[in-house]
Amino acid sequence: MRQLDSLSPAEERELDGLERALAGEPVDADLRDLADLVEDVRATAPEMSPGFEARLAHEVAEGFRDSREPAPRRRPRRWVLIPAGGCLAAAVVALVVALAGDGSDHPTRSLAVSTNAAGAADSAGAQPATPEGKSAPRAPLAAPGVATDGRLTTTAPSASSPAQAGATGTSSPKRSSAGASSSSGAGSATPAPAVAPRVGAASGPRRVQRSADLTLQVAAGKLDETADGVVRTVDRFGAIVASSQIGSDDGSGGEATFDLRIPTARLDGALAALSELGHVAARHQELADITGTFTSTEDRLSDARAERRGLLRALGEATTQEHIDSLKARLRIARSQIARLHGDLEALRRRADLSTVSVTVRDGGASAGDGGSGSGSGWTPADAARDALRVLEVIAGVALVALAVAAPLALLGGLVALGVRSGRRRRREGALDAS
Amino acid sequence: MAEPLNTATTSFDALYRECARDLYAYVRTLLGDDASAEDVTALAFERAYRRRESFDDTRGSARGWLFGIARNAALDELRRRRRAAPLVGDLPDELAPSADDEADLAVRRSTVRAALAALPARDRELVALKFHGGLSNAELAVVLGTSETNAGTRVHRAVTKLREACHASA
Repeated sequence: MRQLDSLSPAEERELDGLERALAGEPVDADLRDLADLVEDVRATAPEMSPGFEARLAHEVAEGFRDSREPAPRRRPRRWVLIPAGGCLAAAVVALVVALAGDGSDHPTRSLAVSTNAAGAADSAGAQPATPEGKSAPRAPLAAPGVATDGRLTTTAPSASSPAQAGATGTSSPKRSSAGASSSSGAGSATPAPAVAPRVGAASGPRRVQRSADLTLQVAAGKLDETADGVVRTVDRFGAIVASSQIGSDDGSGGEATFDLRIPTARLDGALAALSELGHVAARHQELADITGTFTSTEDRLSDARAERRGLLRALGEATTQEHIDSLKARLRIARSQIARLHGDLEALRRRADLSTVSVTVRDGGASAGDGGSGSGSGWTPADAARDALRVLEVIAGVALVALAVAAPLALLGGLVALGVRSGRRRRREGALDAS
Repeated sequence: MAEPLNTATTSFDALYRECARDLYAYVRTLLGDDASAEDVTALAFERAYRRRESFDDTRGSARGWLFGIARNAALDELRRRRRAAPLVGDLPDELAPSADDEADLAVRRSTVRAALAALPARDRELVALKFHGGLSNAELAVVLGTSETNAGTRVHRAVTKLREACHASA
């Protein structure tokens, strides 16, 4: 604008005089011409024709029914749509990110139940673990899944073939049975079916060593209660606690670990009972066939005893002192070998009779209440508060992302709207210059 | 609290009665012909009626709001004219001097009318808004989209030009 806003005092006085004249008030004598000008301009004001005045008054009274313009349209404020669209896009992106992030936050959610056992992979449909106390039929010496496996269906190994025994006895093939776990439903907190075959270790020729790792997730403050439950279960199944360690339960999450020895014959029931104490975050079972090692040791023990009997017979028939001393020395060696082999055999028998189970109980896990079927994994008010906080965090994150996207868009939209408005005004004003 | 010219038809009727003649005078002065002035005046009132709910009295008077609508319609009409064949404004009505009129008054008003018609459109508009529309400088500022002080300055300069033109013609 070329016009300057400032007016000289004389100009201000004239302007004031004009205002007074327009208001019909008296003006100073030297500004009388201004009053005349106002009067003359007003006197020459164009007037509406009576016909137009009547027509317009009628239209106003009728509310402009016969519109000369198109129907009133509420033009959408397009500049509002820009940030709105930005917010929507940001919300969608944030939601996708949040959902993806949520899925990766809980790696232990996927129930990691794997059973490493020879032939177990073929027995994905094996019967679920039956809690002890229910009248489930005892498993036979070799479960069908095992019996159909070529490497485990060997019957009582021949005592005269130690080589063969060694070949089969020391092998403990491990197969992952991920397919078996999927049949129980991933994410479900129900104890996974014991896919391992039921093997009566101590009552037959087959000697199987079993072990298991179980990780339980319990709600905050439930650690001690669950630890007591583990001990009670151990007592109920005639097991022993080899060692245990209970960490602090200070609200931020504690952990208790138990190293258990459970009679193999009652392992399935014990595992089922333990799994009911909390949300099963992970379960891992292994099964190793030690039949070969056992029979091999048994054969060597038998051989050693036979040798000792032969030495004793030879000692009874010995005549020379030198021969007697030699036989006695060989007898000492034989006795020592028998004692060692006997010890080895007992150790193998214990490995077969008692399964090693490691139980870890974790407190304060976010997923403790997610569908837990055990008594220790109920959805508590603390869980609800935690979930609510998580929801608020996600909402805040979405809002923040939306703001980050929408703010620049809104600024840009505002500038564009300002520019459009300014341009329109300039074009209109240009009509005045041209006329 | 904004007081919209909403369903209270009486409010709009009052605005019409108060402003109709002044508005027509302003538009007619700006456009220079009766037909266009009538069209634009009617269009301005219709637009104002349609948008009466959007009126916000915290942003200015209803009179200033109405004159702003009329101004936009008039400027659009001027732009249309510029694109189409230029129209020649109606010849100013010659006042038929009656026997009672004093001769010098008739001459003076004829001079004023001619001087006003000879003013640049911007100045003519300002004079019309001020003299015919009776807008205060604050209302003028809203209509013109400028500051009140600048509106006053522009009015003063337009009036000065008109005075000079009248004196030159006299």
